[in-house]
Amino acid sequence: MTEKTHEADVAFIKALAELLRENDLTELQVKRDYGEDDSLNVRVSRQTVVAAAAPVQTVAAVPAAAAPAAAPAAAPAAAEAAEDPASHPGAVTSPMVGTVYLQPEPGAPSFIKVGDSVSEGDTLLIVEAMKTMNHIPAPKSGTVKRILVEDGAAVEFGSPLVIVE
Amino acid sequence: MTWPVGYGKRVLAEVDSTLDEAARIAGELSGPEWILALRQTKGRGRRGRDWKDPKGNFAATLVMRPEGAADQVALRSFVASLALFDACVALTGRTDGLALKWPNDVLLNGGKLAGILLESAGQGSGVTYLSIGIGVNLMETPMKEWLEPGAVWPVSLLSETGMQVGPEDFLEALAEAYARYEQQFVTYGFEPIRTAWLARAAKLGEVITARTATSETEGTFETVDAQGNLVLNSAKGRVTIPAADVYF
Repeated sequence: MTEKTHEADVAFIKALAELLRENDLTELQVKRDYGEDDSLNVRVSRQTVVAAAAPVQTVAAVPAAAAPAAAPAAAPAAAEAAEDPASHPGAVTSPMVGTVYLQPEPGAPSFIKVGDSVSEGDTLLIVEAMKTMNHIPAPKSGTVKRILVEDGAAVEFGSPLVIVE
Repeated sequence: MTWPVGYGKRVLAEVDSTLDEAARIAGELSGPEWILALRQTKGRGRRGRDWKDPKGNFAATLVMRPEGAADQVALRSFVASLALFDACVALTGRTDGLALKWPNDVLLNGGKLAGILLESAGQGSGVTYLSIGIGVNLMETPMKEWLEPGAVWPVSLLSETGMQVGPEDFLEALAEAYARYEQQFVTYGFEPIRTAWLARAAKLGEVITARTATSETEGTFETVDAQGNLVLNSAKGRVTIPAADVYF
């Protein structure tokens, strides 16, 4: 390969990478035939950011108590984000990738609401994958402190769903 | 046809829903068990939809306590649909016109012949039980006013093939086929199941729509991935979908 075609190839790959970004693609594969036994095969791919089903890892640089003074408008969000719910000892996490349902069926009352007492084994919510409705049971008896997902939300494996204490 | 070793069977004259019956007996199971109801008064579909069950149709649930994490257990959605497909082949002697719609509907001549709904309860460490509820329109189709807009038109085995198959005969064929695929799944994992499923898939390579409660994605049906997700090639690139209703 000559220096000239090398440069052209690099430019070509750069152009593909640009195309990938501009069109919000995750992967692109192209084969360019220069002649017999002379071709360029390029595959460019990139990681896309998955919609934030998993909690955002926030560095708790500002103590929660100090947050209101620092940023009044964003105070509640900052205070909540300061702790990672997934690492909370009472966090119930999703055992699968899927869709969350807070009610047994549309229009019915939710399985739980914040402040409810639950017994070990009670259904907290449903995560569906592939038409399997998996009921998520309370791992222990306690009180529902927080519900971290919305009805119909997509969740990843390990996403925190509910905090029971 | 022989009844598979290790599987129990109970036949009920009438029940509210075989899925509800399964949940009631799950705690006392000694092994996997088929529950067949000759009449079901409150059949259920996905997200609280009614599953209408005119007399003579098939309504059964297989309830079991499988090992493995919840996401692995859920892959039995495909195991069950393959078994259902094969049972139809065994009873009718034909494969033409039969196809599978993601994740587990069985189509005959483009219409919906059968549906499956699974229920489980559990965490990452495993599930306490799994119920596979299966309904097949053997004799009659639900009336069209019961259908949701855009739903696949229902068909019955009788209307499409002229064959009359009784629910108990259907169960024999289904239980035999299920046991075979279950054994394959437990021994070799999801890959052979995935391959067999794709070989019977409807609309592979064609544009389909996947609808969830909050979004809709249109794209070319590329494949089903190793986790059982529907993979669509959409205008926004490759999208993997774990749960949705599919429309053609």
